[in-house]
Amino acid sequence: MLQRAMAQGPARQTRIAYAIDPRFPGGTSSAVAAELGAVAGMASVRVHPVHSRMFRDRPVSPRLAECLASLGIALAAEGETIRGDLVILHNPACLKFQDQAGFQIIARHLVVVTHENFLRPGDAPSFDVAKCLGQIDRASLCARKSLAPISAVNRASIQSWARTNDLPAGWDLLPEDWFNICDAPLRPATDRPRDRRGRHSRPGLEKFPPLRDLELCFPAHAESNVILGADLLMRLPELPTHWRLYPFGGLDLSRYFEMIDFLPYFTSPMWRESYGRVLAEGVAAGKVVLSDPQTAMTFQGAVVATTPAGVDGIIARMIADPGLYRAQVAEGQEIIARHGAGQFRALLERLFPDLFPTRLERVS
Amino acid sequence: MILIEAGEISERGMDAKLIVADQLSRLGHRVVLDDRTLPPDLGRHHAYEAAPFAADLSGLALDHLLMLGAETLTDEILLRLRTLDLAPDARMTALGRFGDVQARISAQSRLAFAACREPDIIDLNELIGPGFPDRAMTPLCTRIAHRDPARPPRLALVLTQECFEDPSILLPDLAVMDAMPDYSLVVIAPGQAKTQIMQSAWSGLRVLNFSELMPTALARRLDAVAFLGDAVPGERMATLAIEVLGRGGVVLDATGPGILAGAGAPIVRVPAALAALDAHLRRLVLPNLAEIGRRNLQDDWLVRRDLKHLERALGLEPARRDSVTDQPRRTLFFPTNGVGLGHARRAVLVAGEVQRGEQPVFAAFPSCVDLVRQSGFPCLPLVQRSDRQPQEHANDILTWLRLRRVLRRGDRLVFDGGYVFDSVHRVIHERDLDAVWIRRGLFQPGAGTPASADRASDFRAVIVPSEAFDELNAPVTGLQRVHRVGPIVDLADPMGADERETRRSELSRQLGRGFDQLVVSMLGAGVAADRSAQLQLIAALCDGQPGCLHLAIIWPGGAVPPGLSRWPSTRVVQTRHALALCRIADAVVSAAGYNSFHELLYHRVPAIFIPQMAPFMDDQERRTRAAADRGLAVTVGADEFLQLERELVTFLRGETAGRLAQALASVTLPAPGTRDAARIVCGDDAEAGGWA
Repeated sequence: MLQRAMAQGPARQTRIAYAIDPRFPGGTSSAVAAELGAVAGMASVRVHPVHSRMFRDRPVSPRLAECLASLGIALAAEGETIRGDLVILHNPACLKFQDQAGFQIIARHLVVVTHENFLRPGDAPSFDVAKCLGQIDRASLCARKSLAPISAVNRASIQSWARTNDLPAGWDLLPEDWFNICDAPLRPATDRPRDRRGRHSRPGLEKFPPLRDLELCFPAHAESNVILGADLLMRLPELPTHWRLYPFGGLDLSRYFEMIDFLPYFTSPMWRESYGRVLAEGVAAGKVVLSDPQTAMTFQGAVVATTPAGVDGIIARMIADPGLYRAQVAEGQEIIARHGAGQFRALLERLFPDLFPTRLERVS
Repeated sequence: MILIEAGEISERGMDAKLIVADQLSRLGHRVVLDDRTLPPDLGRHHAYEAAPFAADLSGLALDHLLMLGAETLTDEILLRLRTLDLAPDARMTALGRFGDVQARISAQSRLAFAACREPDIIDLNELIGPGFPDRAMTPLCTRIAHRDPARPPRLALVLTQECFEDPSILLPDLAVMDAMPDYSLVVIAPGQAKTQIMQSAWSGLRVLNFSELMPTALARRLDAVAFLGDAVPGERMATLAIEVLGRGGVVLDATGPGILAGAGAPIVRVPAALAALDAHLRRLVLPNLAEIGRRNLQDDWLVRRDLKHLERALGLEPARRDSVTDQPRRTLFFPTNGVGLGHARRAVLVAGEVQRGEQPVFAAFPSCVDLVRQSGFPCLPLVQRSDRQPQEHANDILTWLRLRRVLRRGDRLVFDGGYVFDSVHRVIHERDLDAVWIRRGLFQPGAGTPASADRASDFRAVIVPSEAFDELNAPVTGLQRVHRVGPIVDLADPMGADERETRRSELSRQLGRGFDQLVVSMLGAGVAADRSAQLQLIAALCDGQPGCLHLAIIWPGGAVPPGLSRWPSTRVVQTRHALALCRIADAVVSAAGYNSFHELLYHRVPAIFIPQMAPFMDDQERRTRAAADRGLAVTVGADEFLQLERELVTFLRGETAGRLAQALASVTLPAPGTRDAARIVCGDDAEAGGWA
């Protein structure tokens, strides 16, 4: 009898409902796509579109559409109540331009994954957090409501925000970070690194450091400097001729990674990556990635922490000592591998033991 | 140094930057606009307004960036911020009217990302309350300072283009209001409507277009402003309303829907129909104008919009401004250069009479500077117009900048010229100058109302120096406050025969050349007409006369005909003592500009006149004909070479000169009006001149 019951599994599969604006470009959609792939085998998954005012005229993210198609998941009808044992709402910032959520949630546990930092460096607000959380709070009937930070940096910004603002009553913070799944294939490092530098990002000015810092990262004496996602930069009147600029999506990522060995990545000092998916992609592609200490912290050594002024020296040392380069990439990939789908499933089991009880092995 | 930017590149953004730059600079703060942000097709009025502030930022120490319209930030502006080389400790403050918290956060974040520093954000709706229109990029603040209304009060009617749908009804109504003695009227309308009025039978109306003057400058000379139509036409006019209120003036809402009155401002609702408005104004508003204005100044709505609140919110220390109350009023004469030196010479004569009470100064173009300085007056040099300048008004912008630098509020400006430049028009309003216009008459038939007639009301008085002969003094139409005075002419002491001989000997010694007969020619600068052929003819004739010396007087900047100085008996001369030479000459051949003509006439110098005629000039033919008809001069047409030869030969024989001298000696001429003009300049209008 026991054997039969075990063979049949739980009496009812855990139901997970995702609430996401499927038009998010970049990191959020990529992270959700990877997450859906990881979770699909664990539970019954339903995906609800949230049509926020943030993306009025944008299509569904191709990455997400592709993922849904491959998993055979159709988007739920708009307006349908979002129900589940666990409802996961990704990136509440999408609600910042509206006053009403436009959806209803009924769940045992609502998790709101905070893809954006609540505060910017200097503690200025990133978006109207209270407005977004308030909408969700009013629209949801749940036994528990939690915020899920995606990194230590992200967690710190939420905690800092909560010190001077009030979270809606009854909300808590999950004890572990809801990291982005990095499922990109790991490529070996080159044996002979050259001074070929590059960076890729969306084109917003928040993604770029001051021009003098960008010049330090991509100097004239480098063999090549490739900047992908330079749509806005390309509109500046006077630019260094030693920069090869491509608009966002203007170069295939695999081709781009073939063109570089080092990826110095700095942002505007007034903004910070909450996770930094592009950095993880660089490490997975077998490149040495350099960034500021706070951004690098998320990757626990996989990304070299430095300043724009320190980039040249590090690159020079690694070119002179390719072993150092290879060691950095190897160590980085080992760390990145900890952000895989399996680790994410384990995270869910730790976070929600009542929804995902430890599986028993079948015995005959 | 505060750099002012706007969230979008547009006419609205440009207006907002200019208005705020003007307001802050008036508070004594140093402000600058990035000259790269000026659109290439910058309009004429914007070009003037931007000139005091526009600069190449390289090398400037910018310690504060002020962003207007932060709710409208475009990528173009954000990119520009990214390239700005601000000092590390430079502050950035953004003003906006934000719909909600998120709009404010978005603006703050975008600015921070672009400029790589955190901005201070000021929500104007919170600081000073809503604007009208609601989304105004301009702060709509004013410096509050009480001022009593003028007598009669000065009223502006602001009309939208829609008001001009039926000009056959509107314009006569405006004309009726303009004729009312209870108030002095100015119409403020779109450029198209202004043209419409100026081309109509009611061209005598005083009309300004929306962008012709800064609202601050315009408000200085207004006691009340009424808005008609269906809307407040843009932020400049909304600023005008606030500025008028801030000076203790009254704003009247005659819009159909009552737009202004609904904004909560201390605004008086009045009838929208012009015919009813006039009666309402005269019976109810104007008698109480001062009291309404005083109450307005205490209204919370206005008090909240005091510019000092914004100044404080921006963290700006109130700048110390020098008190000008103890400094004596300065009188500045500005003669245009015209074709010759006539304007400058006339202005020097009037200034010479004014000088007894105060020390006038001059601003003059290069051709006149020496004349002015040698007459004993300090002179600020101006830049002459040139075809090499990028726009036709480029030099006038410089003139304006120089005038506004030297003139203080309440100073006096005396302009002598035919066309009132934008520089003059602007500086009069901006500095609230006591302005006088010396404008000689005798326009050519068909010239009609002079182009500057609409600017005549900028001046307290328009002085028209008379012609010597009555038939030339036609009534002046289309201008108000016109004073006609006697001819303004330089009168030298009488010269006896002995003195004349002494001076001829002295000239002979100076030139190192003896002569029996002296011919002086003064045929102009060559701008209005080419007189090369006449000069060559005179030189050739003199060369054929033994003992004859020809002095060809050329004005500064005038062209010297090629080869003229190669005639042995001709000397090309540049002098400010032309009259003295004419008085010792045996024959004078001259153009008939106002000054030359009257100086020769009043000094009884026989002369042959060759009138210069160009469309933009006075009617020299009529002037010379009037003298010739009285037997006081000989007139020769520009193309009558044979007659010129005959008349000059006869002159040198002494026949004509004697006859003319006899007639000149007996003619009675009107008393000169130089002193009267000076009295009018000094404000003694009642005693001087007469209404024309």
